[in-house]
Amino acid sequence: MPAFLTDLNPGWLLILAGLAAIFIKIRSVRQVITIITPVVAILLLATTQHGVDHLTYNALGIELSFYRVDSLNFIFGLAFLIASLLNAIYALHTDNRLQDGMALAYAGAAVSATFAGDLMTLFIFWEITAISSVFLILQAGTRAAYFASMRYLAVQILSGVLLLDGIAYVWHYNGSLSLEAFTSLDQPGALIIFIAFGIKAAFPFLHNWLQDSYPKSSVVGAVILSAFTTKLAVYAFARFFPGFNELIWIGAVMTIFPVFFAVIENDLRRVLAYSLNNQVGFMICAIGVGVAGVGNPLALNGAAAHAFVHIIYKALLFMSIGAVLYRTGTAKASELGGLYRSMPWTAVFCIIGGLSISAFPFFSGFIAKSLTMSAVAAEGAANPAMIVVWLMLLFASAGVLEHSGIKIPYFAFFGHDSGKRVKEAPFNMLLAMGMAAFLCIAVGLPALVPGLGYQWLYGLLPYPIEAAAYQPFTLDHILTQMQLLILAVFAFILLKRLMLYPAEKPGVILDTDWLYRKVGYGAFRWVDTVWSKIGPATAAIATRLASRAYDNMVATFSPRGMLSRNVFSGGMTLWTAVILGLVLLVSYLTS
Amino acid sequence: MTDETPTGRDTSGRFVKRAATAVSAMSRTSDEGIHPMSKVLFGWTERKNIGAILFWVFAVLSVLLVLADLAVDRHEKIGFANSVGFYGLWGFLSFAFVVLMGWPLGRLLRRDEDYYGDAGGPPADVDPDLVDTRPGAASGKPEGDA
Repeated sequence: MPAFLTDLNPGWLLILAGLAAIFIKIRSVRQVITIITPVVAILLLATTQHGVDHLTYNALGIELSFYRVDSLNFIFGLAFLIASLLNAIYALHTDNRLQDGMALAYAGAAVSATFAGDLMTLFIFWEITAISSVFLILQAGTRAAYFASMRYLAVQILSGVLLLDGIAYVWHYNGSLSLEAFTSLDQPGALIIFIAFGIKAAFPFLHNWLQDSYPKSSVVGAVILSAFTTKLAVYAFARFFPGFNELIWIGAVMTIFPVFFAVIENDLRRVLAYSLNNQVGFMICAIGVGVAGVGNPLALNGAAAHAFVHIIYKALLFMSIGAVLYRTGTAKASELGGLYRSMPWTAVFCIIGGLSISAFPFFSGFIAKSLTMSAVAAEGAANPAMIVVWLMLLFASAGVLEHSGIKIPYFAFFGHDSGKRVKEAPFNMLLAMGMAAFLCIAVGLPALVPGLGYQWLYGLLPYPIEAAAYQPFTLDHILTQMQLLILAVFAFILLKRLMLYPAEKPGVILDTDWLYRKVGYGAFRWVDTVWSKIGPATAAIATRLASRAYDNMVATFSPRGMLSRNVFSGGMTLWTAVILGLVLLVSYLTS
Repeated sequence: MTDETPTGRDTSGRFVKRAATAVSAMSRTSDEGIHPMSKVLFGWTERKNIGAILFWVFAVLSVLLVLADLAVDRHEKIGFANSVGFYGLWGFLSFAFVVLMGWPLGRLLRRDEDYYGDAGGPPADVDPDLVDTRPGAASGKPEGDA
């Protein structure tokens, strides 16, 4: 392949194709572009030399490196490109130029940011992901989506501004914007960048932009959104903050709290958004294991593998619920049920996604999560605090099974029959789901042929030697995982039989967005109302006081005033006042 | 649709036609909205006593899995994880705790759908047939997508 092509950041190709697609009115041409571009990009990436700055540019004395592939970012970029291809197929039934174009541009920006060779380039594409993705929410065309998209944009831009701020510190103190990992949060700029990444990774209390916006976006948009932003943040953490022990606890909390929201949430796309949060928690936790600035090879492999498989099975789950929404017009559990009769293939794919995310052996989640769990358990042997983390992750694993493995397929396709009889999903949706389901199984299988199955994925991980030494399919490992999952399923069946499983009810579930959507907005409205009343009132009081003072002065000093009743004394008083005033002025000016 | 194909074909042509007819029949949703594959894939869920069957299948499976701990030699890094049935118990209790917490949390956190004043509707890119309210508009038409 010609050098100029292998030097081209595949993300740029996607961005350019995306921008072009916006102006292509012929649907078939646009469709060919949206599918061919990710395929070409994958080929470009596969043939690129690792560890080299392919495209550099010097701007204002800053050396920018636009394309640098190494063992850490390769797997993230590859996952993004595969997701982009799946999204394009999933969107084939639509005819929406802006959505097609922005989907490609968004994916391209995420890929470009992943392969950025310096912090400033990362920032540029970090911002482009924010701006391009907001269109996918807006495409839903509803009022709720419009407001959600504005909140989304505000949060994303805030993350970008913080990142730029942190970069300015780093540049000022280090004079370099290289991709070197931090070793402490006390380093200049480290904490600000940490928070900037944390917003995009949807850390606890910074998370709600995700559950607010993704479920309100278009059918196709939600699938696209699920893949990129949070996983780009995961990559950024793995790059800059490996082994930061703060991440262990943040990640562990992240795995747990969404589980409780997901169990009571009625909107299945919102359940998936919480589930996304929970999964990113596993990755963040894994990144935090080990020595600050270095990390732990096994755990970092776990984070990268988890990101890869997660992008695919989460897309698959969003696709299946998207297909249900497409056909029935709703994604609410209380309005769904019994859809296996009409959409059996979608149900099968959804179940495969559910089995994968729940980490059943022989599905992709198992081989990824095992790496993290083993790394955390190994740390736990030396550090009792890590035993707590390990138990938290194990708890969250049962939680994932609850909301993504059981709740999503059960309430959409089985359970109470909603009486909805619709057509099966369009063929292109089924094809995209089928491909994702294939990957979920293919990557999760034991390597019957050496190099295939899970070994294919392990070979792409940041530390392939450590990955090759790890054996996920041991008898005790499969047994313990099956014990955890099967007894959890049994708990579901038991609770269902005892009528202890809460019924799905319509309603919104309050989350931290309540703080700014109700309390913050309410406070703002209150200040506004108070000001609108106090403002004129204060002005009226001031006017009245001023006019009264004026009247008094007129009544006293005017030619017809009190002091002028006697002409002589009136004139003298006025002149005295003038002279006194002048004395005051002169003394003030000369002092 | 398939009837329009000329009948005077050679054997391979007839085979292709028959296969195409079969595939078409298996992918065409009936007028009642029942997909033929649903019987093949999930017909078993329609058994009358499926709840009880699943309960007992999983109960037996659970017991067997826990008993398997006695036979399989485990090498856990964390000591107490080696005890018999630890993972099963933890999975069962975690799951039950999460689900049961749904009761108080639902009461605490659930509000009306229009709590934020923008309950919204489905996104713009749902099936165009959904908007079409004519009877039978959502069925019968072959898939022209993709």
